[in-house]
Amino acid sequence: MDPNLLDQHLIALIDRVAAGGGQRHSDAEAALRELYDLTSSRLYGVALRVVTNREWAEDVLQEAYLNVWRIAGNYHEALSPPLAWMGVIVRSRALDFLRRRASERADTAVELDAVISDSVAGDSPNPMDVSEASEQAWALHECLRQLEARQREVLSLAYLRDLSHGELAEQLKLPLGTVKTWIRRGIEQLRGCMARFA
Amino acid sequence: MNLIDHPELADRLAAAYGLGTLRGGARRRFEAQARRSPALRAAALAWQERFASMTELQPGEAPSPNVWKRIEIELANQPRAAAAAPPAQPWARALGWWRGAAVAGGLTTAAAIGVVVYLAGEVDQRESQLAQVNGSRETLARQNVQLAAQLQAQPAIQYVAVLSDEKSAPSILVTFDPAHNTLTLKRVGAFQEGPEKSLQLWALPPSGSPRSLGVLGAEPVIKLTAAESQVRQVPALAVSLEPKGGVPGERGPTGPVLFKGALLQTP
Repeated sequence: MDPNLLDQHLIALIDRVAAGGGQRHSDAEAALRELYDLTSSRLYGVALRVVTNREWAEDVLQEAYLNVWRIAGNYHEALSPPLAWMGVIVRSRALDFLRRRASERADTAVELDAVISDSVAGDSPNPMDVSEASEQAWALHECLRQLEARQREVLSLAYLRDLSHGELAEQLKLPLGTVKTWIRRGIEQLRGCMARFA
Repeated sequence: MNLIDHPELADRLAAAYGLGTLRGGARRRFEAQARRSPALRAAALAWQERFASMTELQPGEAPSPNVWKRIEIELANQPRAAAAAPPAQPWARALGWWRGAAVAGGLTTAAAIGVVVYLAGEVDQRESQLAQVNGSRETLARQNVQLAAQLQAQPAIQYVAVLSDEKSAPSILVTFDPAHNTLTLKRVGAFQEGPEKSLQLWALPPSGSPRSLGVLGAEPVIKLTAAESQVRQVPALAVSLEPKGGVPGERGPTGPVLFKGALLQTP
């Protein structure tokens, strides 16, 4: 589907979810189901990227759609493309999940390491998928594409997993100075590039 | 340094802020300037939005069909989204949910004060006040008068809170008896959490993170043990929906806040 048409359709579905109190409950649930069918693969990908474990990512996804159900009425004040709005919800729920887990178990970092070190090894082909992205995401994609793959990875992990320079260095087993340099250069290049899409 | 005079640096910091790598003192200084400068605020929000699109670029993968089944089951237990929730500024939203709780707590303060007034026996004055308030507050205040009547049966109460849902309907009545270190919670709304969930009570201090006061059982009247130091100077309480058994208190709520209200000391 054309991204603009898809966005319009997703917004209409979010509105139906928001409108469904009382007698319109079944319509709201049907709308949430369609929203789920259209977006769950993409959002599951986000959850997986943050928590790196299928079972956990499924818990996160469930929480995220229930969250959408509760706060669909707030969508319009967000002024974001619908998929980005939902993506941010998934990211927040995934980060909550990791924080909760970290407080329960001290060995979480060990489990994460194995998965993450794979994802930044070398100059992997561009893993981004732009097929249903909003214009805003397309612009970010074009700009990220101009970075080295490892810089792109560090930026995307910094955002998606909400990691500090120190945490990135620790999790990626890179010197702190290297992480800081990559982030700084990555931000500089993004600034130059994104300015053209403003 | 005033960032307005250094647009390059301002934009660089705004980008690092949006990415999340601006931390510690640098972040606090940036936030302080952004609160004063709409231009800086706009730059930070623009970068937050740009990085939010990162979530649109991740490769997709179909989740197990069980996920939707679990969502369906949960939907049967969920309270409805408020279609007419008051609009919040995105910036305000970013400041954390407990500030929102404090604002909403302010809305119920008028009604909660009504409880105290009633307890002092000034019913007539209360009635004349009632005539002046608008429809929704009037309903809420009347319900509070009924709740206050329930309260009078408990003489050792020194703290009172009426926790209301997003439609301002009273849902949980909280009283604290410092002589016995007992928090008593009375469910007065129809809400019942699902079997996989627990309600958790939080103190919202004037600054800093919410602190857990305990996890609610499923019974209509719940007693929790708390020291007066845990509720003294606390302006508001909130109840969040959490996984069964609650979450560790030091990290704050992880689920949605369902009910909140101002905590008042009775005369």
